[in-house]
Amino acid sequence: MIRALYSAASGMAAQQLNVDNIANNLANANTVGYKSRRAQFQDLLYQSMVQPGSSSSVSTLVPAGLQVGLGTRASSNEIIFQQGAFTQTSNPLDLVVQGLGFFQVNQPGGTIAYTRAGNFQLDATGSIVTSNGSQLIPQITIPSTAQSVTIATDGTVSYTLPNQTAAQVAGQITLANFQNPAGLNSIGQSLYLPTEASGAPIVGPPGGTEGQGTLLQGYVEQSNVSVVDEFINLITSQRAYEANSKVVKAADDMYSQVNNLTK
Amino acid sequence: MDAISTSAASGMQSRMQSLEMLANNLANVETGGYKADREFYSIYTSTDATGNPQTGDFTTLPVIESQWVDHSQGNLRNTSNPLDFAIDGDGLFAVQTPGGVRYTRNGTFRISQAGALTAIDGSPVLGQDGTPIQLQPSIPFEVTPDGNVTQAGQPVAQFQLSSFEPGRLNKVGLNYFQPDAGTQPKPAAGSIMQGKVEQSNVGAAESAVRLVAIMRQFEMLQKAMNIGNELNRRAIEEVARVAA
Repeated sequence: MIRALYSAASGMAAQQLNVDNIANNLANANTVGYKSRRAQFQDLLYQSMVQPGSSSSVSTLVPAGLQVGLGTRASSNEIIFQQGAFTQTSNPLDLVVQGLGFFQVNQPGGTIAYTRAGNFQLDATGSIVTSNGSQLIPQITIPSTAQSVTIATDGTVSYTLPNQTAAQVAGQITLANFQNPAGLNSIGQSLYLPTEASGAPIVGPPGGTEGQGTLLQGYVEQSNVSVVDEFINLITSQRAYEANSKVVKAADDMYSQVNNLTK
Repeated sequence: MDAISTSAASGMQSRMQSLEMLANNLANVETGGYKADREFYSIYTSTDATGNPQTGDFTTLPVIESQWVDHSQGNLRNTSNPLDFAIDGDGLFAVQTPGGVRYTRNGTFRISQAGALTAIDGSPVLGQDGTPIQLQPSIPFEVTPDGNVTQAGQPVAQFQLSSFEPGRLNKVGLNYFQPDAGTQPKPAAGSIMQGKVEQSNVGAAESAVRLVAIMRQFEMLQKAMNIGNELNRRAIEEVARVAA
């Protein structure tokens, strides 16, 4: 009987985590480059009350035993790297990766973080930086006198200077991709760090054979959170929580009846 | 104890076990590929108690004789994630866990650092030839309903879909099933859907009905037990009263 209470409690805890996850997805429904996460669950171990194949008498065996499961647990909440929708911004430093690649940005302390958020800006020295001021790798500098900046689908950044017709090449943006992007570690601010599970980054120019994808200038990638899906998940999760709480109530009622057997 | 109380106590205990199974089913209502546990009730007839010399009665007890797993199809939910697979129809995915080959209906897979297709716990998913399915991670891949995996138009591997006779699979947790010793899988006729997951086949409404049924049956049995107690009390206090 205690098993029923704890199984139901594990179900409630799992649904609580599911709602936490949905809340974070919905909160980031407008975050540029955000990738939604999805909670996954597993059943727990089974307690054998009658072992299958044990003897029920001298000549017969129990064909199927009695095993009672002990509830559920959250196994992971993986990142879904589905492409988000593009919105046009007309800002020449807004970039979208059409494909699997990540931008590389320099973190304080020298580590390299990876991001899908391509809403870049220029800092005081003319370097391309993220909205947090982290520098894009490889470093690309645009002079303050530049009239227009063009970023080609292969990542080549070029600009024109006043009274010149020929474009100057400032550099080429490279992208990184991973064997297993779902194994990346989120560190907030739309940044990811590689882990043992994700594998080392494979760096290459956009449009290459490594599958980094191509760049598109003047667009940003919206969050890939589907608000409709998240609301449906929220409804089912809330109902599942309720159902598990009903089991707690039922177990409690049955206990109370047992306690009332002796008057 | 008398016959009424014994039967009622056994019935109450069985309903408690039913509630434990129901609690586990409901806890796993969001577990992908979960299959509900169901129970059989039967009457236990004790060989020692057959033929009470005085009355010729049998002592019979309602007990849960065995439980079975409801392998009916769960709903398929569209996720558009290329690493989600659902089986439509008969069959299970084969996974090489450290403890041996296990079978699962949960098709949420990953690609490992080495390029192997793995289950959530990192155990490799097996192909038709019994070896792990190996992929080129940076190239998109397609899976046809018959389980053929292709990358850039080239066949890479084929999923192994295994089928078992009913009742041959035991749950071992973490969404895995283990077949009885000596049971060989047969090829399954189900088809594989990429970008979908199979949801748990526990129905919330049906479980609510079961919950009510269990509680009411438990209540009735408790009443029966009280009647048994009351009969005993009267027998002791009133029948055996010695007139003053």
